[in-house]
Amino acid sequence: MNTRKIQTVKMPNKKANTRLFSALCVITALQLGGCANLGVQPWERDLLAKDEMALNADAVDIGLDEHIYFSKEGTSGGRSFAGGGCGCN
Amino acid sequence: MSDWKIQTAGDHIKGSFFCMASPCELLIDTRDQLLASHITELAAKEAKRIEQKFSRYRNDNIVYDINQAQGKAVAIDNETFQLLTFANTCFELSSGMFDITSGVLRRAWKFDGSDNVPDDATINQLVKLIAWDRVEFDQQQITMPAGFEIDLGGIGKEYAVDCVAKLCHSLAPTLSILVNFGGDIQVTQPKKEGQFWQVGIEMPVKSTLAAGGDTANYQTVMVKIARGGLATSGDANRYLLKDGVRYSHVLNPLLGKPIVDGPRSVTVASDHCVQAGLLATLALLQGKQAEQFLIEQEVTYWCYW
Amino acid sequence: MQLSKSKKIGALLATATCTLLNAGAQAQETKSENDWKFDTAILYYGETDRVSLLEGVISATKDFGDQHILNTKLVIDSLTGASATGAVAQPYAQTFSRPSGNGQYTTSPNELPLDDTFRDTRLALSANWTQPIYKDTRVNVGGNVSREYDYLSVGANVSAERDFYNKNTTALFGLSYQFDSIDPVGGRPIPLSTMVVNNGQFGAGDAGEEAFEAAFEQTRIDGSDDKSTVDALFGLTQVINRRMIVQLNYSYSNSSGYLNDPYKLLSLVNENGETQSIVHENRPDSRAKHSVYAQTKYAFDNAVADVSYRFATDDWDIQSHTIDSRLRYNLTETDYIQPHVRYYQQSEADFYRPFLNEGEALPSVASADYRLGEMTAITVGLKYGHKMNNGHEWGVRAEYYQQDPKNAGFESIGVLATQDLYPSVKAFILQFNYNF
Repeated sequence: MNTRKIQTVKMPNKKANTRLFSALCVITALQLGGCANLGVQPWERDLLAKDEMALNADAVDIGLDEHIYFSKEGTSGGRSFAGGGCGCN
Repeated sequence: MSDWKIQTAGDHIKGSFFCMASPCELLIDTRDQLLASHITELAAKEAKRIEQKFSRYRNDNIVYDINQAQGKAVAIDNETFQLLTFANTCFELSSGMFDITSGVLRRAWKFDGSDNVPDDATINQLVKLIAWDRVEFDQQQITMPAGFEIDLGGIGKEYAVDCVAKLCHSLAPTLSILVNFGGDIQVTQPKKEGQFWQVGIEMPVKSTLAAGGDTANYQTVMVKIARGGLATSGDANRYLLKDGVRYSHVLNPLLGKPIVDGPRSVTVASDHCVQAGLLATLALLQGKQAEQFLIEQEVTYWCYW
Repeated sequence: MQLSKSKKIGALLATATCTLLNAGAQAQETKSENDWKFDTAILYYGETDRVSLLEGVISATKDFGDQHILNTKLVIDSLTGASATGAVAQPYAQTFSRPSGNGQYTTSPNELPLDDTFRDTRLALSANWTQPIYKDTRVNVGGNVSREYDYLSVGANVSAERDFYNKNTTALFGLSYQFDSIDPVGGRPIPLSTMVVNNGQFGAGDAGEEAFEAAFEQTRIDGSDDKSTVDALFGLTQVINRRMIVQLNYSYSNSSGYLNDPYKLLSLVNENGETQSIVHENRPDSRAKHSVYAQTKYAFDNAVADVSYRFATDDWDIQSHTIDSRLRYNLTETDYIQPHVRYYQQSEADFYRPFLNEGEALPSVASADYRLGEMTAITVGLKYGHKMNNGHEWGVRAEYYQQDPKNAGFESIGVLATQDLYPSVKAFILQFNYNF
């Protein structure tokens, strides 16, 4: 089974005990490629993990609203799949 | 069979049970015996659940499976993943000084007050098996090189304290409850009028200690706490004494040897017990610089040398 | 060991601790139950003097562990009331035939013609299954079916998403197919055919009735027709920092088939704006849409802000902008309020005509449906939610929705100048939801 490391940090040589403590900057900089300046470490997900921070929070409310706007306006969707048609437009 | 009990103590009720090799107590700011019983019973269950799940002294839990895997991947659940993630954070924040794979050292070091200090050859063999950065894990599984062992003892008790405190808070959101597992403490929320809880903690009292001295003189110190968590890291009765040198049970994972010139005991106050516990352990690992470290962290602490 | 920037440990350790305790606790909760979670809601939507809707939703989710999640949803709604047909108001009374051909209705002078035969009940079911298929990759498949008296819709969707960079970035690709079958009351009107109204010209008695029906049938096509819609969705989610996450979607949609609204009409007026006849609408038989959607969520200490913007354009020439914002403010650990503001603006379809001019040639496609015209709409609302001791949650939401159709540049000739051709539609929304 292919197991890839979740943390891509290369830990320093054990004998190098004068390493700086700027944990966040170092870890971020060593992350593989791409959006190296954006994002959080797993231990910083406390706020993001809250229910209300989920992108599909209030899914039922939004689903009901989307149904209303689908039948009263000329544009629909865009957020995700509509998931069902009705004869109201 | 009831392995917990409650007793009224003045204006509050104390629930107690035994878990994780410590006397555990809950101080509940109520006179309602039924509620206190309910809370204590569930707290005891939760504490035992965590002990059963993460103790390295059992052969029927996830830690045993992980330690016996000999290089194979072991499936883990979300709670285990979260603890491993936290241990990983501690490893990184401490530059590798806090390393849960240092559990293998128990094969050489037995802190029973004797003078059985293991030789360097034995230690060096074991140090090769201490390398958290060689452990791979994700939300589904963990894979360690053969021969590695993890020991969650460094954060297990404090984690249990915080989990039980969270449970108590959800059972009684308006009550102040103090959870105390042998000196690792968490208060769910301040008492209504903001008064302090008073708990007795075993701390080495300064005046009775001599540098490199013999048996420690631990006395019960009354600590006042209104909110947050408190944890103590110290050598208590776990040490080795040879040629007048006292070897603490806190081992430096980089060398495989105990910290020699560190404080005897560090107590830290912080928002959460698990946080306080880690800061106390990290302070001990600084050896001589323990107090300096604690000052830099800007936390409330007590440091005994 | 050298320590520097050690303040950082404190803050990082604090957030790591919160993550451990919050996430770990949730794990225990789901472990002990491991059964269904229900989100239910009932909503009332009422326009002043027009349509009202009552809708109920039950959504059930079960986590089978290891990110295997099943969701099923049941929706029932009941629509009553009168809708604007697209015919224009006149200073005189007007008579229209009902879509079924059985009977007719009269509109008073200076009143917008509304057809109140529009009452229907709809039942919709959908199910979705998510599971990981590879490390950091999840797949979702779903199906739905919806049924009302004159309408049947079935569809399926599949999507895959993959995490990158420590799950800070997620990319999603999805496809869906929807098949709708329409069997309107009285058959489908022949596009742009003139509505047959019985004003007595067919004679009296049964013979007259039959003559009318025969003439009416001439304008109808029997049987159902259908439309197919294919959607493609590309999405990218990015965690910006500990407090903020953004999402960017591009979607493409292509519908083809019967896209008309069989109940909508156009008024054919003379130079004085007086209606000479009523004509059934006709829309193109295909529609290709593009939309770009961007959403941001930001976590304050006691609040969460959610702001999104959507731009859409299609080959009917409708372009729209939507800004939607919500601010969830936690009053206490168990109560919150959430004000909501939405602004919507669209430009008219290129075949939109508020009415047709007698003198001009009949266009091949035309519709007076104000929902295809130029308009702005605004929604203002407030929600209150409460979490109970047993973990259940309930909430109440009240909103006000106003649509303001606009004149997209068509001269209101003759008597039409005295009429309100673009009346606002005002609606109240009230919703109660209960989650357990």
